[in-house]
Amino acid sequence: MAGRLGLLLHVAARHLLVRRRQTAVAVSGVAVGVGFFLAVSAMMIGSQRDFVKTLIDAAPHIVISDELRSPAPQPGLREFGKEAAVQLHGYKVRTEVRGIKDWQQILREVDAIPGAIGSPSLSGAVTLRLGGRDEALAVIGIDPGIESRVSTISEKLRSGRLIDLEKVQGGVIIGEDQAQRLGLGMGDIVAATPARGGTRTLRIVGLFKKGQQLGSNAGYMLLREAQSLLGRPFVINRIGVKLPDPYTAEAIAAALERRHAYKAESWQERSSDFLGLLLTRNIIMYSVVSAILLVASFGIYTAVSTSVADKRRDIAIMRSIGFSEGDLQLIFVLEGLALAVAGVVVGWLLGSALLEILGSIKITVQGTTMRVPLDRTTRQYLIAAAASLLAGVVAAWLPARKAARVDPVEILRGAA
Amino acid sequence: MSDPILIAAGLTRELPGDPPVLLVGGADLAIEPGKFTAIVGPSGCGKSSLLYLLGLIDRPTGGQLLLEGRDMTPLSGDERAAIRLEKFGFVFQFHFLLPEFSALENIMLPMRRLGRHTPAEIEARARELLSFMGLAEKAAKSPDRLSGGERQRVAIARALANDPLLVLGDEPTGNLDSANSARVVDLFRQLAHEQGRAVVCVTHDPEIAAVADIRVSMLDGRITEVLRQA
Repeated sequence: MAGRLGLLLHVAARHLLVRRRQTAVAVSGVAVGVGFFLAVSAMMIGSQRDFVKTLIDAAPHIVISDELRSPAPQPGLREFGKEAAVQLHGYKVRTEVRGIKDWQQILREVDAIPGAIGSPSLSGAVTLRLGGRDEALAVIGIDPGIESRVSTISEKLRSGRLIDLEKVQGGVIIGEDQAQRLGLGMGDIVAATPARGGTRTLRIVGLFKKGQQLGSNAGYMLLREAQSLLGRPFVINRIGVKLPDPYTAEAIAAALERRHAYKAESWQERSSDFLGLLLTRNIIMYSVVSAILLVASFGIYTAVSTSVADKRRDIAIMRSIGFSEGDLQLIFVLEGLALAVAGVVVGWLLGSALLEILGSIKITVQGTTMRVPLDRTTRQYLIAAAASLLAGVVAAWLPARKAARVDPVEILRGAA
Repeated sequence: MSDPILIAAGLTRELPGDPPVLLVGGADLAIEPGKFTAIVGPSGCGKSSLLYLLGLIDRPTGGQLLLEGRDMTPLSGDERAAIRLEKFGFVFQFHFLLPEFSALENIMLPMRRLGRHTPAEIEARARELLSFMGLAEKAAKSPDRLSGGERQRVAIARALANDPLLVLGDEPTGNLDSANSARVVDLFRQLAHEQGRAVVCVTHDPEIAAVADIRVSMLDGRITEVLRQA
């Protein structure tokens, strides 16, 4: 059997080697398809990876807030249910206290997941006032030691350190541009008034860089101090969770929400619109690539079908010698496959060269030098190879079937 | 007279149509080993068609064909290909060598396809056949570098590669000059008389017809005469 395959491959190879130009054209068609697929997909996947990383790291992987997706039923309803045959009069709607009630329990559960960290925080609105200027500030009270492990806020600091919050009484970190609007600098003092009244003075111990996605008017304080400033001691209304594998966020968030009723938003949910956009991008990429491969397979089809047309006499000879229809079909399928294999190998080289060139390009955006994000995985090489080989076999199949069906009698009679 | 190895009984081949075109009609013929059989007749009398039927290249539309007592008509295409490979050798008017392969490689093809011998044995046998044809030094030559007579002898060597029971020739000398023609005729007689093969030749050539052991005449698709010649 191996001998038969070797023989048929030998015949196929001779056919291709004799028709060098045709062979070269078909091989380059596949090679260009494979090469550009590698370059384009590396860029697409590379930029997507960077983009998703930004999305994932912009905030904790899961944010549990004190909101409820559907409010808890009022005690009366809880007691009797909607269908109960009871009539209540003078019923007073109960006001629920805001804040996550069993947050210590949630934190314990989160910390029980290996590698996961939960950071509790309290946010609330205050007004900063300096020299007749008012600025709204969304105060977020955090534990600097924990928060720095959950989010990347410490990387976004222009000056100061997160840990300084613990050293300075009433320390606050605000955005650079907000500080500018108020005319504040490092170490300056500003008055802060929460909605319920009672002004305190805060001291600027750090500034965030401009243009970061924290919200331009967010300010970080120590959790304890934020609780006292906002008049809500021991209350927290947000838990940020960082997970060892960000892609488990959706499932874990759903589980937490089921158990505690508080809204637990995963990064996927938070950025579902962006992820939808990525999906579209991927669809576009794969359609373009399929089109390229389709064109490449036309090249193979043409090469194999001219080979079949040219070799009708040889086909008749081989049939008369005792080669079967299957042998003839296999010869021409092998021709298509060989063209595809050669194309894939050349395409891999071409793709690697293109990636080298792309990788050496430097782009400067706002003073930061970046490189084209590239993702080179063997997976892309394998996808390109598999798709090309499949296209090669399919493209060769039709003309090969025609070769198998050549009637030797017709040819022999015609030639004699 | 030895037992025939190939027997045609009422062998018929019609091309579909209205009315159908008769290529071969009711041919009864026995092909014997060790004999040189010539099929003669005017152009279009169906002698080549009969040869393709006898050689299992074409399928009859009627009648029976027995090879060593076994009916060939119900066999599938693959089975007939396997029998052609093992037991038949064909020589055509035009040499019909594969142009991408050297003389030696052309002779090796049927043996490689049959796969009964090691590559070394196959090559040795191919060289032996080339020497037998007086072409030992042309082994590596591509067919287009050989003369017409040389090509036809390579084609005969290829037909003999798998040591066939039957050698079938379709106007094997039709394209050769008289010297080469005589050489091929001698070869065919040698294959029959010295090697004991059944040799069947379709021919226009009166010289072949004259030296054949059995002469089969055809007209309009039918066998008109089977003549044993001394």
